[in-house]
Amino acid sequence: MKLSSVQMDAMQELGNIGAAHAATTLSQMLSSPVEMSVPRITVVDISQLADHMGEESAAFVVFELQGEIPHGGYIIFYISKKSAVHLTNTMLGLTDPDRPLNEMDESALIEVGNIMASAFLDATAELLGFIMLPSPPALTIDMAHAAIQTLVAQMQEEINEVLLFSTELVCEEHKVDSDIIMLPESTTLTTLIERLENLMKSGP
Amino acid sequence: MTDPATPNKLPVMIGIGEFHVGTEPMMAIGLGSCIGLTIYDKDRHIGAMVHIMLPDSSGRSDRPGKYADTAIPLLLAKLTEAGCHKASLVAKMAGGACMFEYFGNNLNIGERNAQQVRAILAANHLRLAAEEVGGKAGRTVSFFPGESGKVTVRSADGAAHEI
Repeated sequence: MKLSSVQMDAMQELGNIGAAHAATTLSQMLSSPVEMSVPRITVVDISQLADHMGEESAAFVVFELQGEIPHGGYIIFYISKKSAVHLTNTMLGLTDPDRPLNEMDESALIEVGNIMASAFLDATAELLGFIMLPSPPALTIDMAHAAIQTLVAQMQEEINEVLLFSTELVCEEHKVDSDIIMLPESTTLTTLIERLENLMKSGP
Repeated sequence: MTDPATPNKLPVMIGIGEFHVGTEPMMAIGLGSCIGLTIYDKDRHIGAMVHIMLPDSSGRSDRPGKYADTAIPLLLAKLTEAGCHKASLVAKMAGGACMFEYFGNNLNIGERNAQQVRAILAANHLRLAAEEVGGKAGRTVSFFPGESGKVTVRSADGAAHEI
């Protein structure tokens, strides 16, 4: 589906609100300031997906979007493997930045992902009155492209273009660089945009 | 100026749904549930590679490389056009992983992809010489028609091996 520039702006604003809540939550967890980028919305042809998500090792905590739309797409907490070690070190009180990730780290990452995705979805639900609930989480720590490719293949609709909706969250103090990514199904996207447009029409 | 004969030239990158036929190295990075399929002509030293995403096209024809049922006849037609004979063709495949177990229940697409590739290769009387499919990990597949059709598989930790 093609988005007009007004719709892009509206979706960006939605991302801003959702990610701001997630950033606040992360900041509280780390007891350090977390900076947030302007949400980036990119329309990517599936054949070019590798230009956006490459071979680098990263942790993906993935939730299916459920609720009013049963298979609404996915929301992902993405963090590079290096940053994942820094993050769990901070959480678990460890210091070695080069250690391999273990089961304890995996639980910690799932927990952070859970909290962040919930914060994001709570904020958007409050704004739009549209409930998206996260499914139980699934985690992989592997090639970024392979993970995102698998999700795209699992999407309900036959798609050739993916709407990647991502916001970077950076905590300089703990060298954590992470991302919240939303991969909406087109039915979800249509509903989100309708709600946003109504909200803008009704005005302040 | 780049020397066209430079031996270290970059491989042709095969994105999702794309394919390539030729003698130069080819590569599909980060295969999760997707399949990287190669077909090599051992007499003519030509190869073809495709990055398959889904098992069935259900009649769609806009991106034949995306689906197992349309990708294999497509490669076969392109190789035949290039003068290859079916009897000297050998196929190899890698990919088809299930990276998210929680979501894998009703739709283990990786496994379905691999099954469909095997079935369509058999229906077309093409020999599957090697496969590395399934598991939970992503794979990057490189194909070297210039080196007897060598196929290597690399994982996220960087370890690579030939299949």
